[in-house]
Amino acid sequence: MLEIKDVSKYFGGLAAVDHVSFSVNQGEIVGLIGPNGAGKTTLLNLICGIYKPDTGRVIFEGEDITARPPNKVCRAGISRTYQIPRPFEAMTALGGVTVGVINGKRRPNMTLSDAALEASYYLEFVGLFSKRDTLASDLNLYELRMLELARALATTPRFLLLDESMAGLNPAEASRALDMVWSAQEQFGITILWIEHVMKIITQAAQRIVVLDYGQKIAEGEPTAIMNDQRVIEAYLGGKHARH
Amino acid sequence: MVTFELKRDRVLLRWGDRKYEWIIEPRYWRNPALGVIFMLILPLFFYNRPSILTMITTANLLAAVVIPLSLQMIGTGRVNFGPQLYLGIGGYTSALLNLHLGCNPLVTLLANILVCGSIALLLSPITWIARGLYFSLITLILPLAFLDLTYIYGDLFRGEVGLVGMSALINLGKVKLNYLAYFYLSLFLMLLYMLVADKIVRSRFGVSMAAINEDEDVAQMMGVNVNRYKVFNYVFPSILIGIVGWFIVHTFRTFAGVTYLPLEFMIKILIIVLVGGRAFIYSVVPGAYFVAILEEILRGFGPIHYVLFPVALIVAIVVLPSGEGLFGLYHRRHHRDYFPKFRVRRE
Repeated sequence: MLEIKDVSKYFGGLAAVDHVSFSVNQGEIVGLIGPNGAGKTTLLNLICGIYKPDTGRVIFEGEDITARPPNKVCRAGISRTYQIPRPFEAMTALGGVTVGVINGKRRPNMTLSDAALEASYYLEFVGLFSKRDTLASDLNLYELRMLELARALATTPRFLLLDESMAGLNPAEASRALDMVWSAQEQFGITILWIEHVMKIITQAAQRIVVLDYGQKIAEGEPTAIMNDQRVIEAYLGGKHARH
Repeated sequence: MVTFELKRDRVLLRWGDRKYEWIIEPRYWRNPALGVIFMLILPLFFYNRPSILTMITTANLLAAVVIPLSLQMIGTGRVNFGPQLYLGIGGYTSALLNLHLGCNPLVTLLANILVCGSIALLLSPITWIARGLYFSLITLILPLAFLDLTYIYGDLFRGEVGLVGMSALINLGKVKLNYLAYFYLSLFLMLLYMLVADKIVRSRFGVSMAAINEDEDVAQMMGVNVNRYKVFNYVFPSILIGIVGWFIVHTFRTFAGVTYLPLEFMIKILIIVLVGGRAFIYSVVPGAYFVAILEEILRGFGPIHYVLFPVALIVAIVVLPSGEGLFGLYHRRHHRDYFPKFRVRRE
């Protein structure tokens, strides 16, 4: 469904993403992990058009979407959430999700009321219906994460990029959020590329994991194999500690 | 094929695969209707006081400049410090065409729209390339540069004296009646702008504009064609502001860039936005009236009013509800309404 072919991005002399290639099949949840600064979020930004890659191509459903502007990538069927929630603070939860409903795909026959009605469905799905008239600035972190998910789902994506959705959540909230992602995948039939630091969650959720370190792909495989991979352990813990 | 459908609280219009709606429930238009009636009756009490009629006409025109500006600030997510550039361009276009080529007000209006639209379209890429303080600085400089041009080409623009003797939009034979007519025309212009702005903000387009004002990167990631929105929201309000220039030319029959293009005029506009509050298009009316009345009162104090005016305004800004302004005193806040935050500096 999504193919990353030899993608690189340099910031000055620094290779943030260095000739990375992998693919994601339809219906999969693929984890993207790596230490801080490994280039995970940069790769996500390259997929969704925020950055233009210096080399390589991004192919989505057979179409080359490399360097397309983010709004066109969104219309093509890719949506994302942010590592640090970026809500529309002065808008209500319902208002923020409505933006996604209106702009996610071309819907000329939809009035604002129709869009708000559909947005309320996504809010109900993530459990925020009772907060629909609350300003986004008044929501707590878990609610903001769920609002981001609702906003992303409202654009009717076929491919969802999750950027550290569990960061800052307590174990109970993380477990609820994981259930939510699973049910979103089941109900809307979406494919997910998930950046995550919480290993317990990503090994549970993902069918495959891709590991980045210093911008390069160092491993790819099933979660259990990845957790025992010497290169991954070294990347996370450092070579000296990994030997003990 | 156009079809109408009457629902309990709204009228639906279907045209091809498009659908539009108008809310008709009384609770949504009762207060605006009362406000309009009040403003329609107001000048009748001041029929014999031309100075007051001129003052409230000026207030209407100030509001007619700030309404499109508010729309522009939301839709581009940037604070424009020089909307009076288009007031100047519109005014001079109309005045010069009328004086030198003898064009009637209708022709000058069309030319005005064309010229303001073209210049705004040419300048609109600044909404793509400049953000925050840089955008504000660029827009701040433009009207000042235009003011310099009016001095450099003094033969054409008549510098500080300005252009005089343009044909009147309306002439009822009596001076007092003309003042009254100008008030009603300015009121009509302001209310028309408010209606247009209200329709835009309460539409699908308006929701996307609000998203751009909040975070344009996220809005773009959610499918909003941000660049197209920003161009529209720069060009369309600029044309509306240009029309105010046309109106001034054909009602006051005098136009000098030195009145409208300097920083003092812009400060007045920004103060209306601040005092009016964040409820933008609706707050502009009390804000503009407040500024016009205050200016008139303080003028009685002599030259010291140049100092008193800003002081009184600072007091008003401090005393009035934070961010809500005059409108906030009256308006019971509903979270469903979008109250934008205007920020010059953004992260």
